[in-house]
Amino acid sequence: MTETQARPTGVAPRLVGTSVPRKEDLALLTGTARFVDDIRLPGMVHARILRSDVAHARVRTVDTAPALEVPGVLDAMAGAELVGKVKPWGDLMQDLLVGDHFPFATDKVLYQGQELAAVVAETPHQAWDGCEAVRVELEELPAVVDPEEALSPTAPLIQEQILYEFGEGNVFDRYKVRVGDFAAAEAEAAVVVRQRFATNKQAGAALEPHGCVADYDSFTGVLTLYSSTQSIYMVRDVLADVLQIPRTKVRVLVPAVGAGFGSKAQIFAHEVIASLFSMRLGRPVKLMLPRADVFRAGTTRNAQVHYAELAMAADGTITGYRDYIVHNTGAMSVWGNQVVHIGTNVGMLPYAIPNVHVDSDIVHTTTAPGGPLRGFGIPQAIWVKEQLVDMAARELGLDPLAVRERNVIDPAEFPYRTPMGHVIDSTSIKRCLQTCADAIGWDAPRAPYEGKGLAVSMKYTSARHPSLDTDLSAVRLRLETDGTVTIYSSDVSHGQGHATMLAQIVADGLGVGIEKVSLAPPDSMTAPFGLGTYASRGAAVLGTACRLATQRLRDKVLAIAAHVLEVAPEDLDTGNDRVFVKGLPDTGIYLEIIAATAAYRTHQLPPGFEPTLEAVATYDTPTEREAPDGRGNLSVTYSGAAHAAHVRVDPDTGRITVLDYAMAHDTGTVINPLIVEGQHHGGFAMGLGMVLSEDYVYDEQGRLLNASFKDYLAVTATDVPELSKTVEIPAPSTMIPGGQKGAGESGTGPVPAAIGNAVFDATGIRFTTLPITPQRMLVALREKERRGVETLRYPDDMPDFRGPRQHTDWPSPVASDADLDLDFDWEDD
Amino acid sequence: MRPFTWLTPETTEEAVALLRAHGEGARVIAGGQTLLLAMKERLVGPSHLVSLARITDLAGITTEPDGALVVGAATTYAALTRAELPGWQRRLSEVAGDLADRPVRNRGTIGGALCAADPRFDMPAFAVGVDAELRISGAAGERALPAHEFLVDAGRTALGQDEILTAVVLPPLPTWDVVVFEKFRHRVFDAAIASAVCALRREDHGVPASLRITVAGATPTPTVVLVDAAADGAAAAESAVAAVRLDSSDEATRYRRELVHTLVRRVVDRAHAQQGSV
Repeated sequence: MTETQARPTGVAPRLVGTSVPRKEDLALLTGTARFVDDIRLPGMVHARILRSDVAHARVRTVDTAPALEVPGVLDAMAGAELVGKVKPWGDLMQDLLVGDHFPFATDKVLYQGQELAAVVAETPHQAWDGCEAVRVELEELPAVVDPEEALSPTAPLIQEQILYEFGEGNVFDRYKVRVGDFAAAEAEAAVVVRQRFATNKQAGAALEPHGCVADYDSFTGVLTLYSSTQSIYMVRDVLADVLQIPRTKVRVLVPAVGAGFGSKAQIFAHEVIASLFSMRLGRPVKLMLPRADVFRAGTTRNAQVHYAELAMAADGTITGYRDYIVHNTGAMSVWGNQVVHIGTNVGMLPYAIPNVHVDSDIVHTTTAPGGPLRGFGIPQAIWVKEQLVDMAARELGLDPLAVRERNVIDPAEFPYRTPMGHVIDSTSIKRCLQTCADAIGWDAPRAPYEGKGLAVSMKYTSARHPSLDTDLSAVRLRLETDGTVTIYSSDVSHGQGHATMLAQIVADGLGVGIEKVSLAPPDSMTAPFGLGTYASRGAAVLGTACRLATQRLRDKVLAIAAHVLEVAPEDLDTGNDRVFVKGLPDTGIYLEIIAATAAYRTHQLPPGFEPTLEAVATYDTPTEREAPDGRGNLSVTYSGAAHAAHVRVDPDTGRITVLDYAMAHDTGTVINPLIVEGQHHGGFAMGLGMVLSEDYVYDEQGRLLNASFKDYLAVTATDVPELSKTVEIPAPSTMIPGGQKGAGESGTGPVPAAIGNAVFDATGIRFTTLPITPQRMLVALREKERRGVETLRYPDDMPDFRGPRQHTDWPSPVASDADLDLDFDWEDD
Repeated sequence: MRPFTWLTPETTEEAVALLRAHGEGARVIAGGQTLLLAMKERLVGPSHLVSLARITDLAGITTEPDGALVVGAATTYAALTRAELPGWQRRLSEVAGDLADRPVRNRGTIGGALCAADPRFDMPAFAVGVDAELRISGAAGERALPAHEFLVDAGRTALGQDEILTAVVLPPLPTWDVVVFEKFRHRVFDAAIASAVCALRREDHGVPASLRITVAGATPTPTVVLVDAAADGAAAAESAVAAVRLDSSDEATRYRRELVHTLVRRVVDRAHAQQGSV
């Protein structure tokens, strides 16, 4: 850290901060980018997974023998034969003693789409024929789709085999926050608003499906896996552990990835299955998931039910927040329980709420696995909290904008520590708020059925996950013998433009032309260890590692140049592919010459100089571990986002049209405005899908009814309004040496709440569940007209709503120890 | 997908003979925009596909001496969109140009949509809405059916196993003065949740003489609603809601009822507001 601050780069930044066109785009736009499914290796064969069509069942028989009789089929496998040979996984990320994931269901099926068997054949269609021949007998059990039903003592038990440290029954983990004294805040508040909210189960819906090619070399014993993933080392380390082979014997390579959004941030069963087949056959095995399988067995946004309360003083100051969250992680989940931790901790921002009291029961249901998805719990938390802010403001007769202006973090001094423990190193959130409100004409009168809404968030820039005590990325640079530079990184770029963004940093730091800088494909055999690309960490965390490595490489280059030019290194500068004496930029020595000297003219090197022109740097953020009371600065810096929505509701069809939308963000120092704006636009589109159309629809038997892009209503280009009001108000991070903050998820968090608040403004209907479909909108409007009321809650005030309508009927957390007792009193026991 | 035999007859007679020869396993394929998706998912597995691609007289648009518009069943949506049609018949171009997405419109055909008999598709609604006639060729010869008789149930038509839909015939221009089509869909390429067609004929001095209202999407097949020729949008909407018998009280049904009301009101009011023949 001190090292980075002590050595400013020699020339003023030239490319950082400019919209350099993405190096990635030509290949993507001309269709020449190579994805996993483009890989064709000699002798390659094809595998397919037979998945359960029922959600919850006891496995009686899975007989793969008939599949082996099918023409073209080479091998088949199911769960029973792997027990004791393949290690379960999922323990590392969840702090479990034993992993809860296995390649196939063995005793029980826990969700529709879970793996039952797999077949490998000469062609994909023969593998499918083989799957159809597998004989399966399942004894169907009652499904549990509703997370609150999963809490009932009479609910069918889903995970029977796993003993959880902090849960029992269908509760597999618990989470709590105890900051300040909410009860006191509640007693003193001018108003306490209370509302039950529910969020939806949104798909990652990456255009490229999950898939891999496994290629086992039976001579060297090296298993090479090409996979569409966000993290090569998380896949490599877990895969080697699952297969119980050394990590040097697993090589993970990643070709172009058609997005992930969090849905590819872990190892999946298909990667293990393809590897096992390749090891058994000694041939390369391709396993691409059909779209329906991606929907059924990929990870989704965790759906939550919130029983939330917000206390506000008469002047609009937010004094407390209490919530009981039933967090649905689906049948099993590698990351799911972490989502409620980080989503809640960081979701309290951009307010410094003094009293926070949260309990969460993290439950299993017989639905698709929950996991990370753009925003990691933040959009859910903001959907709840930012609607409560509007509700409280209206109760007090205050302007929702004024209330937010009063509450957003705007300290006199930085760094500023919030009661929750966040260390805010800089922010422009207040100006972001005012700017976006102005941009849509907040104060202008509304036409009938039109409304405006605001929402604000501050989102993590990467995070120290409670179960993983690390937050690092690494870069290795090599100055090639012709003066070009190769960047090695294990953090997979799957839409973030790393090849461009990192090249900008290197070009500026080394004085080399950006066209001479290349990013090597992620390869665990050559890349330094890093965690992967998720949590908006690329620009800030990976970018810092890259900056450090660039400085180290620059030091080596200057040492050689100083020796050749017979000047002190301090007198040298870099630029235009050269090292030159300060003040004489048109002279100097080309990097090409220096690189060639280090390789081929080594007697010209400084005495004792080790001629390696490589530099590696790892950056681990100075973040804190989560404290038992939920406090902690989990993220190195925080990106502000303020959104303002102007919507129109068609009272005859229920269609909601976003007429105008303004986003003002604080992404700190932006490396590439073009990329960051694209991230914001994409983030907005995912938020729009979350609020207006997307959800997993299950029937009572737990069957997913919309497992295709025909039926799953992902947002398309025509649904997105003109996003011409996307502005940056940078407050550079002081924790990150270059000033960057995370960009990728800022655009998503506030969208559902901003539109939800605008819909209320337009119609008087407060939607407490997602998504707000035209159907829900219209039936709510009709119910409101029927009753002749000014305001209505959907679904709480609908005649067929079966949940608790009033807070007096709310459930309590199922944990008996809901209040944290850190001072354990032995005598009372 | 499963293996199948691809057959490319050059005449309708030859195609019918192939369907007859290969029995239940044989399916007609035109644009394939419904069938191929089902085959890809192995929801159907025909042994033989009888392609209409080489039967040249099945694609294209001609006008009969009486002004009826004969649209070949294998005419693509894209071709319909480009066609320059007179009067209210140009609604066909507009409807064809505003459904699914461009790749589907480039391959999908009007006949394919009718044979798929998907209640949410636009072409069945439009064909019933303007009272089109469907021409069918089979081993037993030619026959014709009104569109509303051709569509038997969701996904089911009156076509025999060895019959081929050859043309969709829109009635002559004087049949209607105004035709209006409206639908509601989630995304621009989604099939309609509900749609409505209003076909209006006026007497010489502009007084409504006949009002044909068709509702689709909400019911297994398009429903023709009988209303008084002078009915306004609100009255027609009430009649339509009563006619479609969406009696269930679940939210999705209530919503479809509301949409039927809205769409019928809109098409009827728009039809009455249109001057002259369009």
